[in-house]
Amino acid sequence: MAEVTLSNVRKSYGAVDIIHGVDLEIRDGEFVVLVGPSGCGKSTLLRMVAGLETITGGDIKIGGRVVNDLDPKDRDIAMVFQNYALYPHMTVATNMGFSLEHRGTSKAEITERVKWAADILGLSHLLDRYPRQLSGGQRQRVAMGRAIVRDPQVFLFDEPLSNLDAKLRVVMRGEIKGLHQKLKTTTVYVTHDQVEAMTMADKIVVLSGGKVEQIGAPLDLYDRPANQFVAGFIGSPAMNFLSGTITPQGFAAPGIVLPLPDATLGSLQRKAIYGIRPEHFVLDDEGVPAEIVLVEPMGSETQVTMKLGETLVTGVFRERVSLSPGATIRVRPDLASIHIFAAEGGQRLN
Amino acid sequence: MVVAQDHAVPEGRSSSPFWTIARRDSLAGFLFIAPQLVGISIFVLIPLGLVFWYSLHEWNVLANTFTYTGAQNYRMLIEDTNLLEVLGATAVFSSGLVIFNLSLALLLAVLLNQKLAGISIFRTLFFSPVVVSLVAWTIVWGFLLQKNGGINGLLQVFGVEGPNWLREETTAMISVIVVQVFKNVGLNMILFLAALQGVPNELYEAARIDGAPRFKQFRRITLPLISPTILLTSIITIVGSLQVFAQIAVLTQGGPGLSTTVLVYYLYQQAFQFHFFGYGSTLSILLFVIVAVLTFAQWQMRKRIVFYES
Amino acid sequence: MKADLSPRMKTCLYGLMCVLLVPFVFPTWWMVTSSVKPISDIFAFPPQLVPQNYDWTTYTKVFELQPFVQQYWNSAYIAAVVTIGTMIVSSMAGYAFARIRFPFANTIFMIVLLGLLIPSEVTIVPLFQMFLQAGMVNTHWPLILVPIFGAPSVFSTFVMRQFFVTLPTELEEAARVDGLGRFKIFRKIALPLAKPALASVAIFTFLHSWNLFLEPIVFLSSAEKFTLPQALTQYTDAYGGPMWNIQLAAATLTALPVLIVFIIAQKQFVEGLAHTGLKG
Repeated sequence: MAEVTLSNVRKSYGAVDIIHGVDLEIRDGEFVVLVGPSGCGKSTLLRMVAGLETITGGDIKIGGRVVNDLDPKDRDIAMVFQNYALYPHMTVATNMGFSLEHRGTSKAEITERVKWAADILGLSHLLDRYPRQLSGGQRQRVAMGRAIVRDPQVFLFDEPLSNLDAKLRVVMRGEIKGLHQKLKTTTVYVTHDQVEAMTMADKIVVLSGGKVEQIGAPLDLYDRPANQFVAGFIGSPAMNFLSGTITPQGFAAPGIVLPLPDATLGSLQRKAIYGIRPEHFVLDDEGVPAEIVLVEPMGSETQVTMKLGETLVTGVFRERVSLSPGATIRVRPDLASIHIFAAEGGQRLN
Repeated sequence: MVVAQDHAVPEGRSSSPFWTIARRDSLAGFLFIAPQLVGISIFVLIPLGLVFWYSLHEWNVLANTFTYTGAQNYRMLIEDTNLLEVLGATAVFSSGLVIFNLSLALLLAVLLNQKLAGISIFRTLFFSPVVVSLVAWTIVWGFLLQKNGGINGLLQVFGVEGPNWLREETTAMISVIVVQVFKNVGLNMILFLAALQGVPNELYEAARIDGAPRFKQFRRITLPLISPTILLTSIITIVGSLQVFAQIAVLTQGGPGLSTTVLVYYLYQQAFQFHFFGYGSTLSILLFVIVAVLTFAQWQMRKRIVFYES
Repeated sequence: MKADLSPRMKTCLYGLMCVLLVPFVFPTWWMVTSSVKPISDIFAFPPQLVPQNYDWTTYTKVFELQPFVQQYWNSAYIAAVVTIGTMIVSSMAGYAFARIRFPFANTIFMIVLLGLLIPSEVTIVPLFQMFLQAGMVNTHWPLILVPIFGAPSVFSTFVMRQFFVTLPTELEEAARVDGLGRFKIFRKIALPLAKPALASVAIFTFLHSWNLFLEPIVFLSSAEKFTLPQALTQYTDAYGGPMWNIQLAAATLTALPVLIVFIIAQKQFVEGLAHTGLKG
């Protein structure tokens, strides 16, 4: 097991920069999730750690060793691929033991390691099957088994759950997390799904356009997003944004004035973005008026699309709202959970 | 447990060693292609240069002289009255072969694409001449096409007096084309069959719902969709037809007269029977130019005739 | 096209196919049956579709008139060596062109593809001179070296490249992480998965070598060096006319083994061929 350090890591194809100077410290045993929209460079970054992509600048260290020009095989890492990448012409057991064959491990030890990994993942009865005879979830487990037999310093996961259906994804999410708690191996996990990131990570790295937007624990990112991008990316349903101006009376958005969390905030008359999560609206007769556009009852909660001034926003209420579109309710933003961002650049202001 | 191998990379320093991952991979790439590249250089590129060099020389094997004569061989090419006949025969042979081969291949492929019991037996039988030794196939056809051979024998049973196939100009040409087509049409047939099976069935279902009759479905859906295969097979077949040698050598030796002397056979005669290596090389250059021009022309046609490319 | 056919239509199609089958099947039948007919029955009228009299001495004469066993062996071993050699050379080159990034890869690929444009007939004169200089005329070297390394293998390289291009990159990346170098990835992952493409390359190459005619008659001059296609044409009488029944017996011996192998393995043959990436 080892820590992984990226310092000023860059990647460019010709004149096009894909990764702009990423710095990242991953502690020994940590579960780090790289998350971001497609094309943000998260997979490229992971593949650079794996050694499948060359790096243009900076250093990558695994366990204190600079690995910039080492082949993947010499980095002591294991990787789980998006499409599993199981060798179609080998049985499950051979697939899992394949990496050991090439490291001079004895036959007896390979068998033992494969058996150990198969036991952990519940694959013992499938060892003689071929990949084409397995279901999606079983293939996923074999791919993980192939990674853990070697007991590498670092596990790398590249969107491993994206080919599974929604139900199985939740199951496998739990299994991967459970595996990490059992083995405590440093893990870097790439996903575009912020729910996966929130539920699995010790630490989340939000990437966008080849830059790190924010690094932090899941709830820190949720509670105090550093900028509008992170605020919009983390959380589901997504945070509502209203653009407007900060005034002495409050936040002036088109057609409505919203209360601000604290009066001394920044300079007055500044253009800004007012961010509020759907769950941070409270039904309150003293609140601001909101015209209901759409009501979606989910059972445990109710999701309401409503017009706040001229802006459409989403609210989620624990109460059952039995109103129909066209009616007006009064809602109050929870002032402790309001996020104010600069109109230019989207940096957090409060 | 597995221990990471020790590597001579200094700790904490980021200067790259010379053998980076990319460089090692490049080396691997060159090693992988080396046998092919060296082989092409020795057995294709150098001979191609030499054949051009020879074509500029008068080469007398018996007197062992090799003198530079510039464009003289090429002037001879233009003045060679036989050559006109040879090129004519080559053109008739190649175009006849391609047309007959492709249409028969397409017909057979369409037949084999039907839902019929035992169709794979037919497929096997239509394909079987491809694996029969070429010269064996040619010999048996030569035997069948004799004046008193099997074909005329069968015709006579029906009271028809057959010609002496290989000794009359027109029938000799038809014979060599037919023998070659039946030998190799199975290859194109299989390629067409694969292409036909690649046409999504929904398209035919949609066309049936639209009320298009069968022949129209074929013309408006099947043909456009398999046009890339038609183009490819026609290139392969044309270039292949220019290389046909054994059949001519065994069946007609280029005769009667020059009627079946195609360019390759003429080249062989000039170089290896009459030992005109210089002029033979000039004919080689001519063959190369014809192949290159035809391939290029068909490639250009791709944009016009190929409606669809996956 | 795929609609169910009426019974009448089916009968028509069967009939049409049976008629079309005649020129494909009859020659082989005629070759085999005529090879055991006595010379007097060879041109008998009406033609004997089934031999009335048998003369098996034609087959012993095949071996008496020429070193036919030696010639058979020549063809077989040359075809085998060429097939294996081509599979190695073209799978390696095809793999590199499909999968390895190295400088000038595209330019080199174009140069190699030039081989498709240059029929071996174009270069036969200089090749003859080169092998003459090297003292290799009337040896089997030209028939082995040129097909493996020269223009004929380019087609195989192209087929292999087309196949390797479709192989998922993830598999190779997994292998790299699993500790394999380039050569081992090629041998342990790419090559085992390329069996269908390799099979069609093997079939094409074998048939090409087995059928080679111009090259043997240019390069070989003594009967014990001859290959089968060349040997078949040598069964002639004192006036140069063919000894038909003996020639047909030799042709039968040449054609039948390959034909039998084909009928046994026809599924692999035909399907391998259809998957050469030539579908366009």
